[in-house]
Amino acid sequence: MPVEPTLHTSERPSADAELHRRLVYGDETALAEAYAAYGGLVRRVAVRVTRSAAAAEDVAQEVFAQLWSRPYAFDPGRGSMRTWLSLLAHRRAVDWVRSEARHRKDTRADDSALHSIPDTGPGPDEAVVDRERSLLLHSALAELPKPQREVVHLAYFAGRTYRQAAVELGIPEGTAKTRLRSALRKLAVSLGDPSDPAWERGA
Amino acid sequence: MSDDHDGVPELLAAWAFGALQPADEKAVPLHLAGCESCAAEAERLRETVRLLDGPPGIPEQAAMNNGSALSEGVLAAALRARPTAPRVAAHAAPYAAAVTGLTALLREVDGHRPWGTPVVHDWDVRDTVGHLIAADGELARLVGVPAHAPASWSTAEMPWEEAWEARTADTIAYERTRSPEETVAAWSAQSSALLATPEARDPERASHATTMLGVRLPVADHFLGRAFETWIHTVDIGRALGLAVPPPVEAHLGQMVRLAVRMLGLALGPAAPPVLFAVTGVGGDPQWVLGSEGEPVRGELALQAVDFCLLVGGRHTPTSVPRGVVGDEEAVHHVLERAASLAWL
Repeated sequence: MPVEPTLHTSERPSADAELHRRLVYGDETALAEAYAAYGGLVRRVAVRVTRSAAAAEDVAQEVFAQLWSRPYAFDPGRGSMRTWLSLLAHRRAVDWVRSEARHRKDTRADDSALHSIPDTGPGPDEAVVDRERSLLLHSALAELPKPQREVVHLAYFAGRTYRQAAVELGIPEGTAKTRLRSALRKLAVSLGDPSDPAWERGA
Repeated sequence: MSDDHDGVPELLAAWAFGALQPADEKAVPLHLAGCESCAAEAERLRETVRLLDGPPGIPEQAAMNNGSALSEGVLAAALRARPTAPRVAAHAAPYAAAVTGLTALLREVDGHRPWGTPVVHDWDVRDTVGHLIAADGELARLVGVPAHAPASWSTAEMPWEEAWEARTADTIAYERTRSPEETVAAWSAQSSALLATPEARDPERASHATTMLGVRLPVADHFLGRAFETWIHTVDIGRALGLAVPPPVEAHLGQMVRLAVRMLGLALGPAAPPVLFAVTGVGGDPQWVLGSEGEPVRGELALQAVDFCLLVGGRHTPTSVPRGVVGDEEAVHHVLERAASLAWL
């Protein structure tokens, strides 16, 4: 007769935990698997922010080097590898753009060589303005509270519906919707458009 | 119908991000067509997402199309950020992995998680690494790797426990006289040297039995013992630093479990009341009958592989370890007691 309930109701480690375990103990095929699964997302995030394939390449390399050399920085108990890598890629990409901007300022002061953004869009001026506003928004996104950032990353970069995002984050659907809404409203406000004061009041 | 907006305001951000459920796809535009306030917010949110997208004509497509071609470069460069576990024979692979895992953990020691963080006994992080230098040093001497440990007052005439206590105390005392970085470098150099020996790379060279820390085992099993202890102390350090250390990979866990079961069988002897012992969480869900072979099984004990290792390593007690028990509780408890008292680490 059973004296105690048996505890082996198949507590298989999650796929992330399994991958993390192999990363910690130095199995390089685990990094290849992580790259195959999330490399596309990391590049997508990085190129969206940096607008440069080469920079996205650098960011991706930095992100996966970090996953490999500092595996304990990721804790599978506190979130998915997908969101962790996406958030890290975004943060690194924003940093890249900021340091690039500083660098550009310096060179401009030196030889007044203006490194303008390639004008592929409508008019160059409009593209430059859009580009600046986009950077402003991505900087603001990087500063949002982590719970909001996670849902935005899943919905915006990883192409999840709000319901899929809720499941992946282990939160109620309503919470996912609320976080998306708060996040996007904050981003809209960060643009600081003065033409619509009602917006600022959170109408 | 649109008085309560049908829950559409809550959906507008998801709509702007293109993250609606298929079922909502029709409801939202339908509502927006008839509701000015929602339409205004929707427009505002979608414009924000458009700006987040950035101007068109970005190199996004190019970057994605080159994905496979660029992939190798990124991966190869990322891999250079940390050495992979050294290539050794199967019996030494768990030790190679454990060393790699502890090296990674020690990289997390910094201002927020300092070297002086208490770990176990009266050891801090650096002392625990010092203890491993002493413990690995035993195997190093056996296989002819120059010892990093200082001269000790322990002698060959002392009982092994006493000599071992003396050597580990001497090593820790010595390591406290220098920087934690030097301690880690010494541990790292010794474990690398151990993994570079023919005994680590060639199973033939590791098959002869030899006595270490009071136990006579093939050298191959002593390598497994090193893996076991290194991992146990990695768990200790991780707990102290607030970082969760995962179990060894399944294959290595299986090797460690099988060695521990053999040691447990020896410790119980052939006369103990027989208990069916099942281990889960390693390949094949192995089970053994421990104790007397001639009698019917008195009880059944089931443990997760990682919990069994923590029990044998002294990090679980017979009463704290999560377990499944069927039948004669006393016989099963006897097995748990013996497992907890395996002094071979």
